[in-house]
Order: sequence, then structure tokens, then C-alpha cells
Amino acid sequence: MPTIVACFKWVVDEAYIRKGSDGKLDFSSVDYKIGEYDRNAIEEAVRLRDAGGGGSVIGVTVGTPESAKGVKDGLSRGMDQAYFAADAAFRDLEPSQTAGILAEVIRTRIPQYDLITCGEGSSDLYAQQVGPRLAELLGIPCVCFVQKLSLEGGKLRAERRVEDGVEVVEAPLPAVVTVLPDINTPRIPGVKDTLMAGKKPATTIKKGELAGSFDGVLKTAAMTASSMERTGEKLAADAAGIARFVDSLRKRGVIG
Amino acid sequence: MAGVWIIAETREQALELLGAGRSLAPDMGAAITTIVKKETAPPEEYISCGADEVLQLPALPPDQPFGAFLPVIEQEVKAGSPDLILFNATARGKEMAARLASRLGCGLCSSCTALAFDKSSGSVVMERLAYGGAAIQKLTSSAKTVIITVPPRSFEPAQPLEGRQGKTRELASPPASAVRIIERKPKEKIAKDITEARVIVCAGRGFDKKEDLALARELADALGGELGATRPLTEEVHWLPEDLCIGLSGVQVKPELYVGLGVSGQVQHMTGVRGAKVVCAVNRDENAPIFPLCDFGIVGNLYDVVPKLIAELKK
Repeated sequence: MPTIVACFKWVVDEAYIRKGSDGKLDFSSVDYKIGEYDRNAIEEAVRLRDAGGGGSVIGVTVGTPESAKGVKDGLSRGMDQAYFAADAAFRDLEPSQTAGILAEVIRTRIPQYDLITCGEGSSDLYAQQVGPRLAELLGIPCVCFVQKLSLEGGKLRAERRVEDGVEVVEAPLPAVVTVLPDINTPRIPGVKDTLMAGKKPATTIKKGELAGSFDGVLKTAAMTASSMERTGEKLAADAAGIARFVDSLRKRGVIG
Repeated sequence: MAGVWIIAETREQALELLGAGRSLAPDMGAAITTIVKKETAPPEEYISCGADEVLQLPALPPDQPFGAFLPVIEQEVKAGSPDLILFNATARGKEMAARLASRLGCGLCSSCTALAFDKSSGSVVMERLAYGGAAIQKLTSSAKTVIITVPPRSFEPAQPLEGRQGKTRELASPPASAVRIIERKPKEKIAKDITEARVIVCAGRGFDKKEDLALARELADALGGELGATRPLTEEVHWLPEDLCIGLSGVQVKPELYVGLGVSGQVQHMTGVRGAKVVCAVNRDENAPIFPLCDFGIVGNLYDVVPKLIAELKK
């Protein structure tokens, strides 16, 4: 019966980011969510637990204290318990810092585990580093970009997608995997799941309770809104609109 | 002397990274070291294309993944202490870059979109997309060494120069990796590479069923273009192969014309068509996010609009 650690991140929902008049990012009306790819990591952990006839899924996340909502959200997706490394300083962390904190939590709080699942990348930075960095810090094997996964006899078997095809690999446990979005379809938590999530054990760990300074090495010199706006001429679906549409494309020289 | 190192699996990847490395190395006063699989090409080719030193990776047993080279590469990098290490942002490149960064305790700029050397501060300035493409993040590193992964086709491949000389050394075979490959399934060759297409008609979630994609294909044919797709179509319903997925987690395209059919216009997708000359959309929801992000958009049901469009194009 496997013990599986699922890593996830509570992130800004990028759909609500606006471009301010000064070209800066406007976060004033943003909402937050569990990273899209992390939902697959949680689902896969839960699926493997259930396929293994029991065991447990332990969620681990890092963030500012406001991310507590994300812990409950994560627990509503089928995990059994969660560790939340929370500190006001844990804001805008770079991947090396996130991996360092996760590794320290796992090392000191979860004495035995078989597998760690991560998403292929976070929804906000999408740097795709935390999984492989975590494996290195814990000194265990790592298999990234997995589209199919099973556990058997102290080993994992995974299909990892690479540019020239698929590699079917085996690795001894414990190991880290990062999963692709099409490995499963994440559940949508119902009211009952949300109510049950409130009763599951969640442990908050402050920065002072962890050994390590978790300093970063990269400096974000600027974070600016990218400009994707175009002229945005809206045309009606009638004969005049369609004629104008085709005429416009001819004038721009993009069709013959 | 400062060093720019490139680490690649294939000849094409190595030449692209040499193109990137050569754009920076003179200003940095750096020599270029290339680590590449020995079987890819003779070292003279890499040397003529800008490498000052070629470190060849020996052939691996068939069950060993590219990641097995990590300890050998780590040892060389630690001895050479380069300023900048470039990898391709491929699945294997991204994994190796992150693991090496962890071992070196250095920063990694993933999927770098712009790269420059700032002479006044003596630092490499890197740019990448964040928040699904809604933001551009500009980064510098406080550690001596920084690693960068570069998406395919970001740089022109380096061209050979006359009379260049360099050194070559073959690296030792690595110890066996704990991860073993038990089977390789090569990809079925897809017919077309949409990153090269002049016109792309992209199908989105506005299509009700797979058979209806014939309509998108028909429009693509009328425009002399190729079919592309949004992520839900390739990864959720699997109506089209993953190679056709446009966006942050798929391919970046630069066609003359992009036409999104039933594409809502999520930022992760639209960031993949940033390089298109003209962006068009057909969507029945007039408040769809794609409208402000396109040049011309028709508000209407694609099932009604596309046949009319095809008829108009044939006039």
C-alpha cells in the first residue's frame, strides 16, 4: 500500500490578470487556484493509492499564509492529509527555493514514502524545474513528462514523452515523477468533498521550524505585461461582414 | 577566461545553441565549449561553427537514458566553471538542466525567449514568459554560473567559419542510471510541421464533435494552409495529434495568417500565435477573449460562418 506525496501550488489565476495603463501587470481583480498541472499530480497520486488497495496521499505545498485556502482545495481532491510550509517570506519564490523548502518538509516530516508526484510545471511560472530539482535534493531517481504510470514490486514503470517518441522506463522507488496533463482527468470536487476536506489533518509549518535559509540566486529585474492586443475589428456573420473579412485579408496580403 | 558551454543531444540542437552562444561569447570574452553526443557529427564541424572545445559523449547502452550523463557532465562543468550553460528546452534537456542546476546550486532560466549580455554590469540578462504568457519576466543571476534552456528554433543555426581550430576530448562512460529504458516507441511521423506553415486554421473547443473538424480542414485547404489545435482538442478529447497543439505547452507558430475557429483565446494558447502576421477569429461569443487579441473577428456560429467563408474565398 503506497504512501504518495503530491506537490501542488496555489497560484494566481492568470485569466484575471489585466494590463495596466502603464504596461504593468494589474493583479487587483485576480482570483487564485490550484495550478492546472498540479491537479493532474494530485489525481495521479490518488489514483495510484486506490489502485494499490489503500495507502495514503500526503499533499505538500509552499506559500504565504493566505494560501491556506489552497490546502483545503487540495484536500478536497482526494488527498488524505497535507503539510503547508507557510511564511510571509514565501512569496514569489524561484524554483530552487520552492524545491528546497519542499525537500526539507518531506525529509523532516514524511519519514517513509514511495513516490512523489509533481505537475509538469506550475501554472504561474511554468519553469518546470521543481520536480527534477526535488529529486536531486532528496537523492532519488526522477522521471519527467510522464503520460502513463504504474507501481509494482518496489519499482515504477512510466511512459515518458520525449520529442522523438515515448520512452518506457523503470526506476526503483522512492522516486519523483512529473506528469503530463493527459495522464488523467482531474476530478471536480463536490460539496461533500469540500466538507470532508475541512476534517482532514493539515499541518502548517513556519519558516523557523525548517532548517535552511532557502536563498534564491535569480533576480527578477522586471515583470511586465506582454502585449498581445491587436486591432480587434469585429465583423457580423452576414454577407457584408464576410465579404469585408476576406477583403481585409487580401489587402493585408496574407491570402491570394 | 569566461566560458559559454552548450550541452546538446543532436547535431541540429548543437548548431542552434552554437548560434546562440556565438551571439554572446565575443562580448563576454568567452570561449565556447560544446558537449554533444559523439555519434552526431565529427568534432571539426562544431569547431568550424564556433566551438573552441568539443567534449564528446560516448554511446550509451540501449537501456540507458540521456540523463545518465549527468554525473559526467557535472564533473566537467564543476572543473570548467563556465559563466553560462545553454541547453535546448526539450524534454530531456529541461530535465537535465534542472538537475544540473540543483547540483551546482545555480539558477536556471527556463524557456528563455530573449538573451543579452549587459557589458556595463557584466551580467547575462534573460527574458521568459510567465503567467501563461500574460507577462514577460526579466531575470539576472547573482551566482557566477547560470543555466538557460532555449526553445527549439529560437536561434539561427551557426554557420561554419574558415580556419577555426579547437580541441576535442571524449568523456568517460557514465555509471549506470537508476532509471532504465525498457522500450522506445518512436513517434509516427506526422505529415506536416505546422511551425513552418504559412497559413494555420486552428480548431478550438467550439467544435461539437471530431467529424466536424472536416470543416476546419476544408477552410485550411481553401486558404492553402494547415490545421492546428488548442490544447483541449489534443490532450482532453484527443481529436488531433499533440504535435498540432499551439501554445505555451505546445508549439509556437509564426504564420502569415492564423484563423481560430471556436477558439476562446486563453492566454496560454494566444501566446503561441504571437508571431503571426494576421490573427483572425470566428467565435459565437462576442465577449470571447480572442476578439481583442485578433485583427479581424467574425462574431457568429462557426458552423454557419465557415461554409460562407469558403464560398467567398472561392469567388
